[in-house]
Amino acid sequence: MLRRLTGAALTQEKIVLLIAIALFCAFSFFLKGFLRPDNILTLLRSVSTLGILGVGMAVVVIGRGIDLTIVTIYAMSAAWMFHLANGGASIPLALTLGYLFALAVGVTNGVLIAYLEIPALFATLGMAAFAYGFARYALVPLYVVYMPASAASIVWIGGGFVFGVPTSILFFALVAFLGFAFLRFTKQGRFIYAIGDNFAAARISGAPVRPIVVLQYAVSATVAYLAGLITATAVASMNTAVVNSSMIYDIILVVVLGGVGLSGGRGGIRNVIVGTLLIGILLNGMTIMNIQYTLQNVIRGLILLIAIVIDSVVNPRDEQTAQQGDI
Amino acid sequence: MTIGEWAGRLRYRYVPDHVVGEVLGRRWTDNVIPVTLLVALTLYLAAAIPNFISVGNINDTARQIGEFGLIVIGMTIVMLAGGIDLSVGSNFALANVTALALINVAKWPVEAAIAATLGVGALVGLINGFLIGFLRLRAFLTTLVVLTLIRAFVDLLLEAYSVRIASSDVESPLWDFVGAGSVLGAPFSFVLLIVTAIVAHFVLTRLRIGWRLMAVGGSRRAAYNAGISVPRTVCLTYVVSGVLSALAGTLYAARLSGAGPDTGIGLELTAVTAALIGGNSVGGGRGSVGKALMGAIIVSLLLNGLVRLGLPNGASSMVVGAVLLIAIAIDVRWIRWRHSLRAKVYVSPAYLALPAAPLFVSDPSSPYAMNDRLRDVEVIGLGEVDGPEDVILDLDDNVYCSLRQGEIVRFLAPDYTKREVYAHVGGRPLGMAFDRDGSLVVCIAGMGLYRVNNLRKVEKMTAETNRSRLSIIDDSRMRLADDLDIAPDGKVYFSEATIRYGFEEWVVDALEGRGNGRIIRYDPATGVTRTIIRNLLFANGVCMAHDNKSLLFAETWGCRISRYWLEGPKEGTAEVLIADLPGYPDNINRGSRGTYWLGLAGTRTPSYDMAMTMPAFRRRMARRVAADEWLFPNVNVGCVVHFDENGGVLESLWDLGGENHPAITSMREHRGFLYLGGVTNNRIGRIRLAGADPDWTGQSSYWGNRR
Amino acid sequence: MKSSKIALAVATVLSLSGIAAHAVAQGIDDPRRADYFKTFEGKTIAFVPVTMGIDLTEGWASVMKKQADRLGMKFEIRDPQFSADRGAEAITALIAEKPDVIVVHNPDVQSYAKLLKRAEEAGIHVVQINMRSNYNSDVYVGADWIGIGEAEAQAVVDKCGAGTSGKVAILQGQPTSGSDSGMMKGADNVLSKHPEIKVVANQAGEWDATKAHSVISTVIQQNPDLCGVIGFWDVMDLGAAAAIKESGKPIVLVTSGGGEQMACDNVEKGVFEKEIAYQVMDQGRDLNDMIVTVLESGQQAGKLKAVVYSPQLVISKETLRPGLCWSAKDLKK
Repeated sequence: MLRRLTGAALTQEKIVLLIAIALFCAFSFFLKGFLRPDNILTLLRSVSTLGILGVGMAVVVIGRGIDLTIVTIYAMSAAWMFHLANGGASIPLALTLGYLFALAVGVTNGVLIAYLEIPALFATLGMAAFAYGFARYALVPLYVVYMPASAASIVWIGGGFVFGVPTSILFFALVAFLGFAFLRFTKQGRFIYAIGDNFAAARISGAPVRPIVVLQYAVSATVAYLAGLITATAVASMNTAVVNSSMIYDIILVVVLGGVGLSGGRGGIRNVIVGTLLIGILLNGMTIMNIQYTLQNVIRGLILLIAIVIDSVVNPRDEQTAQQGDI
Repeated sequence: MTIGEWAGRLRYRYVPDHVVGEVLGRRWTDNVIPVTLLVALTLYLAAAIPNFISVGNINDTARQIGEFGLIVIGMTIVMLAGGIDLSVGSNFALANVTALALINVAKWPVEAAIAATLGVGALVGLINGFLIGFLRLRAFLTTLVVLTLIRAFVDLLLEAYSVRIASSDVESPLWDFVGAGSVLGAPFSFVLLIVTAIVAHFVLTRLRIGWRLMAVGGSRRAAYNAGISVPRTVCLTYVVSGVLSALAGTLYAARLSGAGPDTGIGLELTAVTAALIGGNSVGGGRGSVGKALMGAIIVSLLLNGLVRLGLPNGASSMVVGAVLLIAIAIDVRWIRWRHSLRAKVYVSPAYLALPAAPLFVSDPSSPYAMNDRLRDVEVIGLGEVDGPEDVILDLDDNVYCSLRQGEIVRFLAPDYTKREVYAHVGGRPLGMAFDRDGSLVVCIAGMGLYRVNNLRKVEKMTAETNRSRLSIIDDSRMRLADDLDIAPDGKVYFSEATIRYGFEEWVVDALEGRGNGRIIRYDPATGVTRTIIRNLLFANGVCMAHDNKSLLFAETWGCRISRYWLEGPKEGTAEVLIADLPGYPDNINRGSRGTYWLGLAGTRTPSYDMAMTMPAFRRRMARRVAADEWLFPNVNVGCVVHFDENGGVLESLWDLGGENHPAITSMREHRGFLYLGGVTNNRIGRIRLAGADPDWTGQSSYWGNRR
Repeated sequence: MKSSKIALAVATVLSLSGIAAHAVAQGIDDPRRADYFKTFEGKTIAFVPVTMGIDLTEGWASVMKKQADRLGMKFEIRDPQFSADRGAEAITALIAEKPDVIVVHNPDVQSYAKLLKRAEEAGIHVVQINMRSNYNSDVYVGADWIGIGEAEAQAVVDKCGAGTSGKVAILQGQPTSGSDSGMMKGADNVLSKHPEIKVVANQAGEWDATKAHSVISTVIQQNPDLCGVIGFWDVMDLGAAAAIKESGKPIVLVTSGGGEQMACDNVEKGVFEKEIAYQVMDQGRDLNDMIVTVLESGQQAGKLKAVVYSPQLVISKETLRPGLCWSAKDLKK
């Protein structure tokens, strides 16, 4: 067992998982109240939005893309939905329009990348600025949009409980499961792996690469919209300034940390869960240890750095096999 | 001639179609999009914003460009080596707070504080560089983690110092100069940027370390295999980027003295955007400091202009996004489109009307009349040589030939059965000549003019000539040095068949029928290389006249021999000696009794001659028909032509049956024999000449009878 | 059209007040009236907020725009969208463009200080609104932050006295901003007199509700018996309120802000215990008065140094009544 864990089979995912387990054990042992059920729920809840967005990002990253618009969609679609409802639109109509906005951004991303062949990094970088600007200009004039009273019927999305478990955790579980099933069991899911592994080969083999790329971004947009609704209903407002925060990096981090390679074709939803759990355990443990919020970020950064360094030492990249342009 | 023909002829003579393909082939055309964008943007902003082009405003804008440009240069250097540095924004903020804390709170002297701040930036860069270069972590992920880590660290510092920074102010002329000073009327930060850009450009393009960096970015694996220390090079780029970010942060600190949490947020993406819009590519391989500078200016102007236009909420973000998308989309398209378009238009046939060919088939009285005199050549080295383009003999009667494998092989006298590699020169050796010392001077396609000395050591003589002032492609390097001869004063005259194509593409040059060739002179005494005649139709054989006062040269697609006067009243001018050859002339060499030998590589055909007067037809053919289906000039059957000093043709030698020596590119007379070479042959031919001087050798004709 | 009507109304009022006694029928021309309008004709007011899209800046902007329209002045907004760097760029550009008045909303006390000095040296009047900088320009219009800080602290002290843990968290916006430094000073003034109150956390939410949410939920986890939170801005404090709601604990949240309808709603719902408000509409009017004053005075920029503190408005369950708060939605109408 030990040999299997320390041998060549020690992937980044396993390293991160081991660190997560080690921290979990250490915290359970040394920290009073860490293992209490309500604390575990708090832990999961604090990272559930991050995890959900991570699943959306993972679908794109596995297909050798990246979606920098995910936070923009997350914030602006939910904000517009609130804004519409504030202006008197019915909740179902507002929900639908909000989703259409999210989908439009996602599909545009896909078209830019698949048909205009703009590299994903720049297509979504440009779209993130464009979509945010458009939404601020034409749809949501305010920085902070509050939840309207009429939205009481959808508060349960982010603020409800089922058998004492916050709905946001359940949504994370649901999205993770759906993402797993999509990638593992559907034809489109398998094609995403094929495209991520070798785009040209997938294309020559007859995979409908362009529609699949568009689909990926549509999926991540959908997931982002859901995450936006969860957050917005949980804090009863949506602050669109989050678009300019470092949240996008946190999402990429949980995805890549768990072992989904940015070069595509590697990893799955399991990796996202592992990455998310590590972040969650870290944050929660440090909070119980009464470490200040700012210092927590420093420690978190250091541990992430250590995690990727260990991975690199255990699985060194070979100059001979390194892929050109794989940054 | 109809008016249409006449107009067509003028059009093909004076419209420089070939320039389009040449322009598209230059790498600087990549800059078309960013330059256009920059010009359009500047014009628009100048029109939309009153006094945008005022001295004061330009100064203010330049000061901001100064800070941002430094970061973009750092980012570009990292990108050129195949990485990316996302930590620049945090590093910038760290430098800002460090500088302010040291100066405002710790009351350090300004010089020491700046040095320490740059040191901190270098340290952050070193961390990045160590992790990515030496531990081989992935650049994107690593700098992302470092970004969040440094940002958290900045927040920590702000918590501790921001109020104290804000509540104290420092009076220091030096600090004010860094923040608001000017050098020769230009803002200090902009001057710093320009100096940095010049230094960075120099290092990248002129110094070894810069070349290594470009090599690593171009192909990491190849660089590694070439022995470049990839880790050290990669590490260095991040240190440079770290220092430049810190420098920018210091300038920012001096300008505003404000330590806020939003400092540098999102700067990494803006910097990447600028680098990209300028035309640098992610993953290395394409880019320059100039492109970085252009991108930085475009993005700064755009952001500054948008703030000044006072657009409503979100509109500026929308514009930035749209500009980025459009610029990248056009850039992506442009790069592809450029290559495919260039492939289409590079070949640009010209109008070429040759004088009517002599009737060498139907007229038995013509000196060119076909015969079978070459049927009985002796064959040397059958199957042992691959394409002996030129043959030459030394005074010991050994035969030398230049082969396709990049070797000069010699067959030893007297029976020519023993074969040895005289020298391996590389490239595709073509024409040869012995100089006064007995060194063998060789024209090598793809390399230039080389010499194999008596000790068989290969030395370069020249590979570069003066660049034509108006040429778009760089014609200073030699692509297809073809044949040479040496004057008594040691000067080497040699031909370069074409400047537009390589050796393997000779047939495309034939199709083009444009004067792409030239004659070049190399003077070993001074080492100077100069082009003396340009625009020749595939300049080929070169031969000093017997009296050394002029030079004969052949133009293959022009089917003519000309004389270029080296001295006398017509010095420096050329005149046609034989205008209407029946075939495509190749090498020219001296013969005994004051005559010359000329190899015709192939014969003209009426169909091809006609095609040469129909450039549009040939253009269509080049674009639409596969290359192996093209109409080719006939190079299957040729002959040897014997002519005298006045261009009078004495006789010609053919192999009508095509058994031993139908294709000929060169021949040498030596002690009553003629030795024959052919660029596609697998043998060397030898035939006894009736009526030749049995003691005459080329060596003695040039350098006298001595060993 | 509209302005002429207003002018007519002004003229009417003037004529009624002073001279009406003699000349009811034909009226008498006011000799200063023409000069008055001429003073403002074609003048330019530029507004550089921290960002647009929040209740405060939208409120001020709309009030200023109305007056500018009425007096025939040009009113421009340069929106740096929460970026001090872009704000500095905007002011730098404005100095070159030379408007007559720049109204500045500083993100912190230092970033713009040098630029504002330069602007006044260039002859542009600088009016600072609510968040001052280290440089004292012609006019400062804004809340009395020290007073607000004192009132907020007092409200929490009242609730977290004997019988509670006495643990209080302070949620600042941006400690280097003009508002926070004042509020912090005010809070200190009160809390130093009450040793029974323990400040367990004093952190910055950077005007961001999401960050405030993370900070306060962390503080609550670390101090489950937290009694009160002193928040420095209502918009941001909604994040803190959500964290309190998630914890399910009865924690008192006192905040301050621009007194927009959102504040009244949340006080009504009990999300905020109290809001010490500065009334944005009144501040807008103060701004207008001061703009008119500096322009009419004809003085050189940088000579005046006037300060106008806005009165405090306490919004609590006791004071709550319809019309107490203003509504950002109505601005558009």
